[in-house]
Amino acid sequence: MEVTLKIFRYNPETDKKPSYKSYKLDANEMDRVLDLLEKVKGYQDGTLSFRRSCAHGICGSDAMRINGMNRLACKTLIRDVGTRVTVEPILGLPVLKDLIVDMEPFFDNFRSVKPWFITADPEPEKERYQSPEARARFDDTTKCILCACCTTSCPSFWGSEKYVGPAAIVAAHRFIFDDRDQAAAERLQILNEATGVHRCHTIFNCTMACPREIQITKAIGEVKMAISTGILD
Amino acid sequence: MLAKRRTLSLAKRGFDFEIFMWLFVRLSALAMYLFALIGLVGALIMGARTQVNFADLMRWTFMPDSNHVLMNTTLNNIANLDVWVTLFWKIMGSLFVTFAAAHGLHGLLSVVEDYLKNSAVRRFLRYFVLVLTVVGIAIAIYVVWTK
Repeated sequence: MEVTLKIFRYNPETDKKPSYKSYKLDANEMDRVLDLLEKVKGYQDGTLSFRRSCAHGICGSDAMRINGMNRLACKTLIRDVGTRVTVEPILGLPVLKDLIVDMEPFFDNFRSVKPWFITADPEPEKERYQSPEARARFDDTTKCILCACCTTSCPSFWGSEKYVGPAAIVAAHRFIFDDRDQAAAERLQILNEATGVHRCHTIFNCTMACPREIQITKAIGEVKMAISTGILD
Repeated sequence: MLAKRRTLSLAKRGFDFEIFMWLFVRLSALAMYLFALIGLVGALIMGARTQVNFADLMRWTFMPDSNHVLMNTTLNNIANLDVWVTLFWKIMGSLFVTFAAAHGLHGLLSVVEDYLKNSAVRRFLRYFVLVLTVVGIAIAIYVVWTK
């Protein structure tokens, strides 16, 4: 089948403003959008720029807007998006070139919630034991691959990049509800600021966009409840 | 073995304007349902079924101010005017308008916080909404109590 790929193009060194360029390709319905982007870059236009790494939905490099929805190009099949496909960079972050955005504001927000294990307990001889039930409490939010699909689908983040965004809250959730961690209070205070969880108005774009199917809005709700009640179970 | 319950005290997790208003918006919504129910049931007890037209009954339900039923004398035929202008209904009216204005104007504040990037403009509008809320509530309460 013939597929038309309409791609957002922008080179800050040569272009005054962004434009769209269409490419016609022979494709199979089981091809992924990433395969077609590779074909365009390899055979039609070597100047096309996009990020990719593992190509198996694990590294989170190739998040982009495909037919208006944030998706990973490596997990999106042509049969699911049709033969006319529009590919654009994710929203809310500055475009560096074509489909590549500057991820630094996203990672600044991610780092602001201290997404690492914090404890004052001495290091044990072997490992820090945890019951399967305690581990299950935050299992969903361990699946995040930091692709930014959620954060860049959120209107509150489009409005202000100071909002920490869903991905940062997911990362905080993973540690707040980990019974071995001891910095939950610190993270809850950060998320209780004007740029924290209160900017979430449960629009659910993040949950719909997540390629790992994390229940993000639910996780944000749990963090709000933890701030309100102080209960971390 | 029972796992130890993990909780954080209010002092540790912090309690500021953001979380206060987050809780207030949710609780005030519930409170306004209750106020409306009290207004409706109270009006029916005072004889609204036969003495007040439906539109005025709804106005009273969602803001129990006596003007809403007493002004429309051609359509309403209220037997006892005094029961509609009591201290209880003035307090109910004051509470309703306070909760409604604070609830609604906090929504406006959320729009300001969500979509305005310029911090100086945001700060100005934050205080503007705060003043608007206080002045609006004060005027409304003045109207409720001076009849």
